[in-house]
Amino acid sequence: MGAELVALMGLAGLGSAFAVVGLVLAAWMAWRIVDKAGLPGWTGLGAILLTLTAVGTIVPLVLLWVFAFMRWPRDEAPVAATAGPALPPPLQALSDRRGWRLAGKLTTGATVSLGFNESAATWTLTGAAAALPTDLSVPDPSVGQPHARLMIAGTRLGLADLGSPGGTFIDGARLLPEHGPRDITAVQTIQVGAVALVLSRS
Amino acid sequence: MSNETVFVLTWMPWLPWLLGIGSALLLMLLIGHMLVALVLIVPTWRICARAGFSGAWSLLHLVPVIGAFIVMAILAFGDWPNGEAHPERS
Repeated sequence: MGAELVALMGLAGLGSAFAVVGLVLAAWMAWRIVDKAGLPGWTGLGAILLTLTAVGTIVPLVLLWVFAFMRWPRDEAPVAATAGPALPPPLQALSDRRGWRLAGKLTTGATVSLGFNESAATWTLTGAAAALPTDLSVPDPSVGQPHARLMIAGTRLGLADLGSPGGTFIDGARLLPEHGPRDITAVQTIQVGAVALVLSRS
Repeated sequence: MSNETVFVLTWMPWLPWLLGIGSALLLMLLIGHMLVALVLIVPTWRICARAGFSGAWSLLHLVPVIGAFIVMAILAFGDWPNGEAHPERS
């Protein structure tokens, strides 16, 4: 009987040790995850440590849902850099009739030059061959199919990322699907995948 | 009749009941685990997708005990393809 009791106590002790190690690991990883999203690390650690208190696991579970659907500071940073006051306002004297041009070099070394204008409100940047009149083909393996959407409204030009793994950049700042359409009227360069395209009026 | 035989004969009629109760308990445990996993999978799927990983990684929550730790480790120690707030700290 004594041996069984000792074995049971050992098992319980081992279980507790695993629980403590698991809790510390989870708290550490939660710290890193929320830190990567731009929130203070202690909020993640605190959420995990809450499981030790009387509130149990419900509050941490609610916090997990809040974290998943809240706006992350990480997503704010590139937008602020892109849409900050440092950018000059769009030129007022530009004619509405002028079109736009995106030109650049593919990873294969070939050049690409894409013209588009107000004849359509939206244009799609895609790595595939142009299937529609509003498709702008950038035949490069790093470009998604489709990759991003361009929107024209008067003299203003907008760009929205469609979530392609290659990524979309506006003057070097990452554009994410969560950001929605961004005004790129005064932007010099956009990058789709590994292809940098210089924006100009044509 | 030996004592052992009497013991077996006494418990034999209960055996199907015990098996049934055990199976029902296991099924309830499985359903409970799936429900809890689902409550974790939905937000984790979104977090993975926002970080740039495949949302399917969140299905690791279906693996009991160790699954949640693996998902957390991927998010905590992997480089986020969609960018991090402080990439220099990774």
